[in-house]
Amino acid sequence: MAEASRISRYLYTIIVLFIIWLFLTASLDPQELAFGLVLSLIIGAFTYEIFTTRGLANLHPKRVAYAIAYIPYFLWAMLLANLDVAYRVLHPKRPINPGIVECRTNLRSDVGKLVLANSITLTPGTITLEVEGDRYFIHWIDVKDASVEGASKSITGPFEKFLKVIFG
Amino acid sequence: MVKRLLAILVLLIIGYWLAQGLANVPFGENKMLVGQYYLDHVKEQTGAVNAVTAVVVNYRGFDTLGEVTVLFIASTGVAALLWRRKRKRTAKTKGSVVLTTGTKLLFPFVILFGAYIFIHGHLTPGGGFPGGATIATAFLLLYMAFITYEIPHRGFEATEGLAGMGYVLVGLIGLAIGGYFLLDWVWQTWGFGHENLGRLFSGGFIPIIYTIIGIKVGMELSGIVDNMLKEEVSE
Repeated sequence: MAEASRISRYLYTIIVLFIIWLFLTASLDPQELAFGLVLSLIIGAFTYEIFTTRGLANLHPKRVAYAIAYIPYFLWAMLLANLDVAYRVLHPKRPINPGIVECRTNLRSDVGKLVLANSITLTPGTITLEVEGDRYFIHWIDVKDASVEGASKSITGPFEKFLKVIFG
Repeated sequence: MVKRLLAILVLLIIGYWLAQGLANVPFGENKMLVGQYYLDHVKEQTGAVNAVTAVVVNYRGFDTLGEVTVLFIASTGVAALLWRRKRKRTAKTKGSVVLTTGTKLLFPFVILFGAYIFIHGHLTPGGGFPGGATIATAFLLLYMAFITYEIPHRGFEATEGLAGMGYVLVGLIGLAIGGYFLLDWVWQTWGFGHENLGRLFSGGFIPIIYTIIGIKVGMELSGIVDNMLKEEVSE
């Protein structure tokens, strides 16, 4: 993926850091705001090179909207996942069929892969063991389909439609 | 076996002895002698809302200067003990894409949070040392995730030295203005921040000193990590 210009990456880092500062201080005191801005400028100058490769393009409205929509979607999936695991633990027969399956992803960016890996780990009985290029090795508590295509469809598929738009 | 029994016996005796000694200290009763003075006067004398930092930086500033010195000696000592002409990182396995990308994303946030801790030393729990340690954690993350990462040594060591000198300089300005070392000149002579107690730009020179200490501690601990992670390379 092509890198954005330095200015765009720097600005993006400042914006993100400043938003985090607002959440940290939870106050709109002008002193806090002024100092937070100065701090964001300084820290951004030191860290933007490793923080982002795409810069302000991350703030495209469509991406932000999908990111906000992704949060409740993901939380719901996580809730179901935990209920599912509780069911498996409490069930007298312990209905598990564990195994390691391989999945493919069509995500390109590293950040997208990171979020996908974390989303998989936090949802229905699946844990990401290793990511290599576009291959994911996933431990599944109840293997329904061991083929690459089938596993991808039921594990990575549901998240990818969001993450593809957010991170590319 | 006999050794172990003897050790347990000695420990039991020491424990009993300590318990006897502590039994006379009342628990949950007010036994503040100097403490009451600190609590009563901390606001008007130092401008800090956090009494701990006021004690550590203002009332007993020499202790903190000593601690900073101890840390500096520790860092120099580690560097001296592990000094070799050719030293390199020899780690072989790179972290997975999840680890490296996560580190890249977290790095600025950890630094920002460290800075948040040390700048709010006079208002919230924390201060220069926790803030600095947090910043060093960010560099530790980079060291763990990337097999080739190294801190920029020149910049780090120069900043560390400058920060240490800055602390002494702040103390010396107090000596020049008010007559004794580590006098809080920002608060007592300038009166800066008198009108907005409890907001960010108050607390006399505590935020200044804690910024200096935070930067210094962050650089120092990162330097120690760097020294310990490197191995000698034979040519």
